[in-house]
Amino acid sequence: MKLIRKLPGYINIWTWLSLIIVVLILLPNVSILINFFTQEADNWEHIQEFILPDLLKNTSLIMIFTGILAIFLGTSLAWLVSAYDFPMKKFFKWALILPLAIPPYIAGYTYNGILNYTGVIQTTLRNQFGISVDQKYFDILTLPGAVFIFTLFLFPYVFTITRAFLANQSASLIENARLLGRNAWEVYFRIVLPISRGAIVGGTSLVLLEVLNDYGLVQYFGVPTFSTAIFQTWFGMNDINSAIKLSATLMFIVFAVLIIEKLLRGRKKYSNTTAKVRPLNPIQLKGRKAWTAFSYCLFIFSLGFLIPFIQLLDWMFLTFDKIASPEFTTLIQNSLLVSFIGAAMISVFAVIIANFSRMHQSFFSKSAARVTILGYSIPGAVIAVGISTVFIDIDNLLFSFYESIGMEPTLFLSTSLFMLISAYVIRFLAVGYNSVESGFDKIGNKFTEASRMLGMNMTKTFFKVDLRMIKGPLISGFILSFIEILKELPLTLILRPFNFDTLSTQAFQYAGDEQIHEASLASIIIVVISGIAIYIFHQVLEKEPN
Amino acid sequence: MFIQIKDLCFCYGNSKDDTIKNFDLEIDKGEIISILGESGSGKSTILRLLCGLETPSKGQISIAGKVMTDDRRFVLPEKRGIGMVFQDYALFPHMTVAENIQFGLKGYGRKAKKERTNEVLDLVNMAKYSKRYPHELSGGQQQRIALARALAPKPALLLLDEPFSNLDADLQIKIRSELKDIIKRTGTTSIFVTHDREDSKAIADRIITMRDGAAHDWESICTTRQEKSKLELVDMK
Repeated sequence: MKLIRKLPGYINIWTWLSLIIVVLILLPNVSILINFFTQEADNWEHIQEFILPDLLKNTSLIMIFTGILAIFLGTSLAWLVSAYDFPMKKFFKWALILPLAIPPYIAGYTYNGILNYTGVIQTTLRNQFGISVDQKYFDILTLPGAVFIFTLFLFPYVFTITRAFLANQSASLIENARLLGRNAWEVYFRIVLPISRGAIVGGTSLVLLEVLNDYGLVQYFGVPTFSTAIFQTWFGMNDINSAIKLSATLMFIVFAVLIIEKLLRGRKKYSNTTAKVRPLNPIQLKGRKAWTAFSYCLFIFSLGFLIPFIQLLDWMFLTFDKIASPEFTTLIQNSLLVSFIGAAMISVFAVIIANFSRMHQSFFSKSAARVTILGYSIPGAVIAVGISTVFIDIDNLLFSFYESIGMEPTLFLSTSLFMLISAYVIRFLAVGYNSVESGFDKIGNKFTEASRMLGMNMTKTFFKVDLRMIKGPLISGFILSFIEILKELPLTLILRPFNFDTLSTQAFQYAGDEQIHEASLASIIIVVISGIAIYIFHQVLEKEPN
Repeated sequence: MFIQIKDLCFCYGNSKDDTIKNFDLEIDKGEIISILGESGSGKSTILRLLCGLETPSKGQISIAGKVMTDDRRFVLPEKRGIGMVFQDYALFPHMTVAENIQFGLKGYGRKAKKERTNEVLDLVNMAKYSKRYPHELSGGQQQRIALARALAPKPALLLLDEPFSNLDADLQIKIRSELKDIIKRTGTTSIFVTHDREDSKAIADRIITMRDGAAHDWESICTTRQEKSKLELVDMK
């Protein structure tokens, strides 16, 4: 009975559009899972026996060590900048997020360029001091090397989330512990770490998902993981079914990470139940302690941003004349084009689903919201496999249609930019969605309800009231997803149309061809644009503490 | 009867118990009804059910002879012709006072829109403020604008959700009598929800008290007992 009553409220354009978007997102992922159980693959047994154990070993080693080190760096730095005052603390608060502006594959080849035989360190040692070093101490192209890069360039996820938590939520607990006579270390290990568990787990799971998503760094470093294996079986062995099986296995690992995250976080969410938020009063550090804190922050900032950035700048000046050509302008145009279209579609989809799910508190609307953010957990290579199988199927279905309108019967959709952009939308919809959703959360439903009481239907209300009020979050969601797409590598590498290059694929290819210096211009553009965005968002976040 | 609510039941998605249980109420045209109850008694839910922002699981609502919801029908909130003053007013922050009021005046011509806006602004004594933005008004002024906005489309029924909860005590007493005045002048049938007995006494023609999701008449409260014996009735005097 209730359903019949509810129907009039449900039957509108928002529900239909949300339904369509959800299906579009689910299709490639479901197709992978179905194929995993149904399709035979030529090389699967061979892969299971000889390759899979190595993949599992490498993947778990990288995840475990990156996870532990990122927690260590992220929480210690977050605690320092939240609880203490020391020189340049304000700067480090946002500067320590900057490593995120450098994608791991760019960081990887930059560090290799710094450390290898012709790099700045070894040449200086040789030419200035006459010291020749044992190469094995300077070889970064190893599994520990990959852990080093991942840690340095992904720890800001732990850092930002933990810092936000400490800044807003913990003041009374920490002050109480201090009053009870605990010293700084005790407070850190017995109060800070346990109460920020939820935040730390959340940040770390983001780090791990990024590690699983990475293709560029592990490929360049020659450390086989799932992403590289998927590429290899698909393009090297031409065995898409094995690639699908690998993708599904990787998806199971992702689900495991997500489930473990949920279990570890327990019922604790990021926030306390009390509405009163009081910021933590920082303690002024003096003398040696102040300079130790400063040096620690500066050291990590240098390793995670300053050194690679300066090196990239240096290389850029070396190669600028050679690289800056009309072809390079095309690259920039391509990058901006796909990022713009992708981010625009993400914004529209995000608004549709967020608006639908806040208006209807039902099982379907909640699932729609969950599905929307699912894509962000799924590694690029997996989405690429899923979406191209779906698109090839669609093309096969449309085969006769293509013929009937006189087109050369080809794989029209699966060789078009459309496929790449759909993949971006699936992978990064969560970025736009989270931003829009938090905007809707902030304004609540009352304005919408007021408008409907004044006789406007849902769609008119949306354009006249809601859209105006979520303009800010919508724009930030757009910018964030724009940057994610700009940096994206594995999806772009696999799904781009023939001869279509972007800044990130260009940088990766140059680096892969041992033309590290030539890769720097494209990398610098990516890093600078991302860096500016991080700066702007930090300023915005600082103004609104919640 | 102008408004008829029969056997209304409602429960929120995740709870087992009905928030509203077999709620019955009849209201005459032009009457001002106050629903009085503690927080959590379901009084605001009644308003949300009346205006269609929530969907009842059972029961029937009809207003001015038209069925708003029963087992087969459900009229969407924007089609019900009900005005509502929200607890925190919900004035659109990106529109001026005049724009807020004109928002609900669909189907009015340009001139008619302007006239009606001035009319209701005069009614609430805020004619001077039409160009202001909501954040440039005090709490009491915002409330008057919210009232004007709700009355502008000449609703069949006006709902007010805790209209005084955001005002300080002095203002509350002053605005209370004003409010009754304004509503009586327009002759609009009104229901307002409050937890403050004084508010109810000052404004309402009839007071309904709510406990555990069911209604009890003010007059009958100490004389008759409803058959549902588990509902504990208290002396309201």
